[in-house]
Amino acid sequence: MSERETLLSVSNVSLSFGGVKAISDVSFNIAKGEIRAIIGPNGAGKTSMLNVINGFYHPQQGQISFNGVMRKRMKPYEAASQGIARTFQNVALFKGMSTLDNILAGRALKMHKSFFWQMFRYGPALDEEIEHRKFCEEIIDFLEIEHIRKAPVGSLPYGLQKRVELGRALAMEPTLLLLDEPMAGMNLEEKQDMSRFIIDVNQHYGTTVALIEHDIGVVMDLSDRIVVLEYGHKIADGTPDEVKSDQKVIDAYLGVAH
Amino acid sequence: MMHLLYQIFIDPFVQMAGAPDLLVQTLWEGFVGGMLYALIALGFVLIFKASGVFNFAQGIMMVFAALTMVGLYEKGVPAPLALLLAIGVMYLLAVAVERLILRPLVNQPDIMLFMATFGLTYVLIGVGELIFGGSPKEVPTAQLGLPKGAYDIHAFGGLVSLQKIDIAAALIASIMVAALAVFFQKTRIGRALRAVADDHQAALSVGISLNQIWVIVWFTAGVVALATGIMWGARSDVSFSLQVIALKALPVLILGGFTSVPGAIVGGLIIGIGEKLGEFYWGPLVGGGIDSWLAYAIALAFLLFKPEGLFGEKIIERI
Amino acid sequence: MANAGRACDTFPKLMRMHAAERSDRPAFRHKDRGVWRTWSWRQAYDNVRGLAEGLREAGVVHGDKIAIVGANRPMLYWAVTAAQMLRAVPVPVYADAVADEMAFVLENADVKVAIAQDQEQVDKLLSIRDRLPHLTRIYYDEDRGLSDYDHTDLQSLESLMAAGSAALQKDSGLARAMDASIDHGAADDASIMLYTSGTTGRSKGVVLAAGRSVAAARDTVAFDHLNDQDSQLAYLPLAWVGDHYMNYAQAYVAGSCICCPEGPDTVQDDLREIGPSFYFAPPRVFESMLTRVTIRMEDAGALKKKMFDHFIAHARRWGESILNRQPVPLAARLHYALGEALVYGPLKNVLGFSNIRVAYTAGEAIGADLFSFYRSIGLNLKQLYGQTEAFLYVTAHPDGAIRAETVGLPAPNVHIRIADDGEVQFKSPGQFLHYYKEAEKTAETLTEDGYVKTGDAGFFEEDGQLRILDRAKDVGKLANGVIFAPKYIENKLKFFPNIKEAVAFGDQKDFVTAMLNIELTAVGNWAERNGVSYASYQELAGHPRVYELIKGHVDEVNAALAREPRMAGAQISRFLILPKELDADDGELTRTQKVRRSFIAERYAPLAAGLYDGSEIADISTEVTFEDGRKGVISGRVRIADLSPHAPASKERAA
Repeated sequence: MSERETLLSVSNVSLSFGGVKAISDVSFNIAKGEIRAIIGPNGAGKTSMLNVINGFYHPQQGQISFNGVMRKRMKPYEAASQGIARTFQNVALFKGMSTLDNILAGRALKMHKSFFWQMFRYGPALDEEIEHRKFCEEIIDFLEIEHIRKAPVGSLPYGLQKRVELGRALAMEPTLLLLDEPMAGMNLEEKQDMSRFIIDVNQHYGTTVALIEHDIGVVMDLSDRIVVLEYGHKIADGTPDEVKSDQKVIDAYLGVAH
Repeated sequence: MMHLLYQIFIDPFVQMAGAPDLLVQTLWEGFVGGMLYALIALGFVLIFKASGVFNFAQGIMMVFAALTMVGLYEKGVPAPLALLLAIGVMYLLAVAVERLILRPLVNQPDIMLFMATFGLTYVLIGVGELIFGGSPKEVPTAQLGLPKGAYDIHAFGGLVSLQKIDIAAALIASIMVAALAVFFQKTRIGRALRAVADDHQAALSVGISLNQIWVIVWFTAGVVALATGIMWGARSDVSFSLQVIALKALPVLILGGFTSVPGAIVGGLIIGIGEKLGEFYWGPLVGGGIDSWLAYAIALAFLLFKPEGLFGEKIIERI
Repeated sequence: MANAGRACDTFPKLMRMHAAERSDRPAFRHKDRGVWRTWSWRQAYDNVRGLAEGLREAGVVHGDKIAIVGANRPMLYWAVTAAQMLRAVPVPVYADAVADEMAFVLENADVKVAIAQDQEQVDKLLSIRDRLPHLTRIYYDEDRGLSDYDHTDLQSLESLMAAGSAALQKDSGLARAMDASIDHGAADDASIMLYTSGTTGRSKGVVLAAGRSVAAARDTVAFDHLNDQDSQLAYLPLAWVGDHYMNYAQAYVAGSCICCPEGPDTVQDDLREIGPSFYFAPPRVFESMLTRVTIRMEDAGALKKKMFDHFIAHARRWGESILNRQPVPLAARLHYALGEALVYGPLKNVLGFSNIRVAYTAGEAIGADLFSFYRSIGLNLKQLYGQTEAFLYVTAHPDGAIRAETVGLPAPNVHIRIADDGEVQFKSPGQFLHYYKEAEKTAETLTEDGYVKTGDAGFFEEDGQLRILDRAKDVGKLANGVIFAPKYIENKLKFFPNIKEAVAFGDQKDFVTAMLNIELTAVGNWAERNGVSYASYQELAGHPRVYELIKGHVDEVNAALAREPRMAGAQISRFLILPKELDADDGELTRTQKVRRSFIAERYAPLAAGLYDGSEIADISTEVTFEDGRKGVISGRVRIADLSPHAPASKERAA
């Protein structure tokens, strides 16, 4: 795995909020085409890490390089144009819009035709809209959510909302897909479906995936490599087998008195 | 007692039936006013949806926009050019608001932003008076290609007089309302706008720039304000007192909901027509002056029956 | 075309005729990736020829059996015709059959080639492959997930069709040979083999002849005036006679359009988009539609709900009379017209019924209330009674004489008689040839003078309409000699939206008892509104207040039974609510969702015993199959409720 080209590397990153350290001096990398998991107990700094990766937070120290380019300070919305898509722990969907519109919103950066044409839904803008609609329909087919295409997502069950959110991220054709607890609150069957989708995305589209997940069983099955965080520190990094047998990880998870 | 009941519940309808031409005239005037109310309310709705701010300065933006246009004209700029320049000024205003108010105050409580729009109100009044003076100005309707005079139609057993400027106002308002609806529902930017209204974080994650959207929204609201200001100004004249008309948008918003485009339109029409009917047929009963509060009364009466407003967003969420 | 004048007595010949006569009319539609794709009769015919040529080259010959497994897709319908073009026999299989059931059918039918819709079905076929010595090749329609599979004996239908079409293009000799193969198709060819659902015992392959199938469809197409302007949504299982008749046979005769939905979950939306003119659904589909509407109205605003209730009440009073063209006062008509604009019209639109001229229901008895609800809002819903062995139609309601409790008059050219023991027997134009490899069973089913024994007990009412009571062999007697018709009672129970399934016992017993399943959606909704909290189906099913609710329903059924002289003695004395839903995967229901009474009695023996030994509570533990195939055990205590019977009513007849 380590021979693979590096897509994203995090070097010595530290992040704190008003003196409280969320991440301390963490380094790891994500290789092209792998499924990379970030795990750790609650409050370990996993979501903060994702927020650093997609530019919501700026680390006080350390470097991030993506696609071989050292990252400068950037605006939160710029991660998307670099090819980083994400989902959120508590599902951040456009609740008043339909499934289809949510996924189309994921195409925001891919639409270029001028505002003028769009107003009249005419000419090149119409062709473009149709192309994007087709693309989104492929995603809808892929995620098997045809039956909720026109439904306002706010009224959907949680498991389906998570799927729509994944669909919106996929619509961005990301090179790096960040998933924040994609299976939280799902039942066994929904988890199996979601795992299947993640593997399919990874294998068929070659998308690199980085995910946070609490269900250790799922993580072990799904990921190529795992980073383990605890209290903002990295305590382990390696293949599922390596991580499983790491004493520090066992201590952190089996609850040796902290 | 009986007489009063008669005056309230019977007499107005007898009058309506007795002189249908007057009724049509009243309805028409109510309709034109209603369309303009709807436009003003739309300005509020746009900004509220995209940035969650109740823009107290909306009324003054209308005056400021119209004043800029008319003021430039008075300083010798040709009317069409003055119009374009006024649009440009509204764009600059949008950029300034985004830079100086929204960006620094992002993530602050909504009340802070609301207070900031108070500040904006007084800045605009000050700047407006400083540059263009405080005296009422006349809109150069002819130079803008707006018609004058009236069509007198003999119908409904009498005479109905349609002011040409009213027809133009109703037309322009309808076109703008339709364009905004299409803009919201059908375009990429409209979709982005709705996305921002729904969830800031998610919008950022798909690459939508909040700052851009805010500029677009404030600019759009500015253009709407300019159109409304000119139309309203053309029916009387442009002065700072015009901003009280923006207060008429409040009952419209109560009725239509702060986030609903169709709500603003229907609400505007209900208030506009209701107000004119009330003023004409019931006003004399209380000795006039009814128009300052009637709109609110209508809105409150509606609220009794439909607390969420006409098209109020019922946010359907599953736990 | 040389053959245009010849009689079209097979489906390939019919298709060839349509391709010539209405070449550009739509024949098939399928919603894919959110868009309706359309194929004209000409395009569909060309595709079928391509498929047939591909299959011929793969070695399919006259008499071979071809299994077709999957949901309604144009490609699978074409495969049916392609097989028929080669005079091979298509054998549709229920798509939701588990591997074991599928293995039985494919083994029994000596299937040579299998055609599957997607990966799921291919997986099932591969898993049972070693039990099927005759199976040589598998073809699939949707390639998703299949790219890594070993393609030695596996191929996509798309590429098979392309190769076949190319061969036909290049070699006019092959094209002529295909024409000849169509011409050789004969009226007494076996046209299709449909496996019965097997309510009792293993299912049997019913062999239907081409000429008879076409003849039967011609009769009903004329009866209901179907033509090439009509369209229907094909969403029922391919292996069910209802789909093969209503969608395939009738469309091929009438030249109408077969529309395939996007998937099982989108049927309702697709129905609305297509707005078909002809519709067929088993009662449970109509029932779940009404349940959804009712739930939606419970959640609607007060004004909307009031309006709905008001106009539905008006429709219940006058709607059926208006539909039956009976005299109705003008005021009621105007009121109804207002209702049409405000309620019935929008409702029909939501349900996808706006353009429907004729709708049928069959397969199970339908509740009088449910039936008249749809009729009252202006849907021309009728019942038919049919069997796979008849190629569907035995009787059907004629327009204007429709009653929920009867199944109508004999269909055109069908002869019906009631045997001495009360069994309904018929001769019909579509009558089956024989059961595949079951000569003995065939002989048992046919009378000496060629009538088919339906196995159903029934009688003719005074106006000549047939009324079906129950399966003849299920009709039993209580110990005191009173007639006990379990299905009749079960149906009455199931007409309550809160009751999903019912199983009645009583043959040779002292009194009647029932095991019930609650309908989770309806009861769950009721629970929510009444502050009854529950964590699981099992908990809800055992809740005392749910028992109270259901007890009320059972009591109403008893009251209804008491009004019928034949049935008054067979009222339900005790009942219980099962802790799990009856499921076809556990063998408790057939694939067509009919209860297997004796199997259930065995499986829940402790409960069955409890119903008769007077105990208040019985314990049960039973194995269940989860959706992903894993097995688990459900165990618990089940309460048993008692009821007191109603006094039989004097002479008055139930409405």
